[in-house]
Amino acid sequence: MQQARKLPEAFTGASDGVEIRIQELSVRFPDKSGTAVDALTHVNLEIRQGEFLSLVGPSGCGKTTLLRAIADLQQPTEGSITVRGQTPREIRLQKKFGIVFQNPVLYDWRTARRNVCMPMELMGIPKKQRTETVSEMLDMVNLLGAGYKYPHQMSGGMQQRVGIARALAIKPEILLMDEPFSALDEFTKEKLNEELLSIWSRAKKTIVFVTHNISESVFLSDRVVVLSPHPGRISAVVDIPLPRPRHLAIKDTPEFGALVAKVRNSFEGV
Amino acid sequence: MNRLNWRKFFSSPKWVTVVWVLGLIVVWEIGATIVAGVKRTPENVLPHLYQIIGSVFSTQKVNGTQTATQIVLSNAWVTLERAGIGFVLGAAVGFLLALLMSRFTAVEKMVFPYLMMIQMIPILGMAPIVLAITKDIDKSRIVIAAILTFYPVATNTLSGFKAVEREKRELMYSLAASRWDIYRKLLIPYCIPYLFTGLKIAAPMAITASILVDTLQGGGGLGCMMSQSLKHAMTIYVFWQIVFLSAIIGILSYQLMVWLEKLLSPYPKELRGNQGKKELTA
Repeated sequence: MQQARKLPEAFTGASDGVEIRIQELSVRFPDKSGTAVDALTHVNLEIRQGEFLSLVGPSGCGKTTLLRAIADLQQPTEGSITVRGQTPREIRLQKKFGIVFQNPVLYDWRTARRNVCMPMELMGIPKKQRTETVSEMLDMVNLLGAGYKYPHQMSGGMQQRVGIARALAIKPEILLMDEPFSALDEFTKEKLNEELLSIWSRAKKTIVFVTHNISESVFLSDRVVVLSPHPGRISAVVDIPLPRPRHLAIKDTPEFGALVAKVRNSFEGV
Repeated sequence: MNRLNWRKFFSSPKWVTVVWVLGLIVVWEIGATIVAGVKRTPENVLPHLYQIIGSVFSTQKVNGTQTATQIVLSNAWVTLERAGIGFVLGAAVGFLLALLMSRFTAVEKMVFPYLMMIQMIPILGMAPIVLAITKDIDKSRIVIAAILTFYPVATNTLSGFKAVEREKRELMYSLAASRWDIYRKLLIPYCIPYLFTGLKIAAPMAITASILVDTLQGGGGLGCMMSQSLKHAMTIYVFWQIVFLSAIIGILSYQLMVWLEKLLSPYPKELRGNQGKKELTA
């Protein structure tokens, strides 16, 4: 596990290559029956700038909670998170997070183009620039031809690609993805995995990617953070030194298999 | 024809309609014949259907200056205009109230029980009271139509505001959207199909209510003509023409809402809210 170095506040900015610094983070909230659950306990993690990092673990391990805490959608009970030396709230207010949810969360009354456009409308970006960016983003996710379709006219994979285009349209510093492909079939998922890597290599964002799929996390990531439940905690951080650019064929190599096994063996108490 | 074909014949929706209409015509004509046999008034209270249709195209002046159709149409305008104004006012108030209730829980807790109560007072009891307060039949028509409209609009729109999925709201939150933007870009577009559910219920009701208010005073309007006609102060065909005209206008007002909804929210209603249902905690 990365050791959280104690540095003075002035030095915790992006200058040392650390984008997100999580120190002694604990999140506790009541579950459906009202008893307090330790969703996360004493999490320490440093996420580097430009890194593709996966949070992987079974249900209830707190991986989504960790992502939500970074995104300022969940308040920590203890500990702290700094993003480029600022609080998650400050980063959110500057609209530097791009979030892709498990469901595409498209607005049904808007076409694909207008869904991608929506965050830019909030930012007051001029119409001409919005139109250009929308085309650019839809081109990036290979959906330029489907721009005028409504969500109900698109497949799940297309909808999720629109969701990614929308998240990237505001040129966020950090892309947070919460099991974005888990509802898709295996073929679509693998295709989108490859596409996502190509987008990432061009866009040069830091990506935090939540998944329960070990193979997916190994294929995509620079590092895989393994979380275990009851209470939610980090049980291992596995480096993935596979060469890039990666293609699906890499999944058939023994190195890939060994890394999948290493991640799988890092789980505790499952 | 074998049994299977008969079943097919009767289960097709088109034939169900045809059979219903034919059945109604048969029952009507039997009724009209019986009533004609026992009538104690010079005019048959329940005329045959062909007589009613004939009266629509008749050029005979029934009150000295106007034909039956002219009487109906000139009075229809008075009623419908007020019903329309009341409907628009009621819809606007209902929508704003739903907006306030969705924004402030306290408003919902304060207002909602009274909304229910207003809805429970029979319109027959409320209409004379409203007339006594406004002292004007035109204003009463508008007020009653508005009261009947705003309840279904307010409740349906409120349920729309409440149905917005958490993830859709969180997307707005993550983009640091202002409250105004959240309403403008998410909540209001989201609840438009819900609003129209309310409007579709309310449109025919507003017209019926306006006709009912007419009967309270002799100042014209469809309801007024209906009661005069029933009391034999005017030919009975005026009554029956109004019955059919009201039914047609009620259906048309509903269709107008269907058409407006298609214009304003171009996605199938049954598909809304299919995404984002799953809980996000993991």
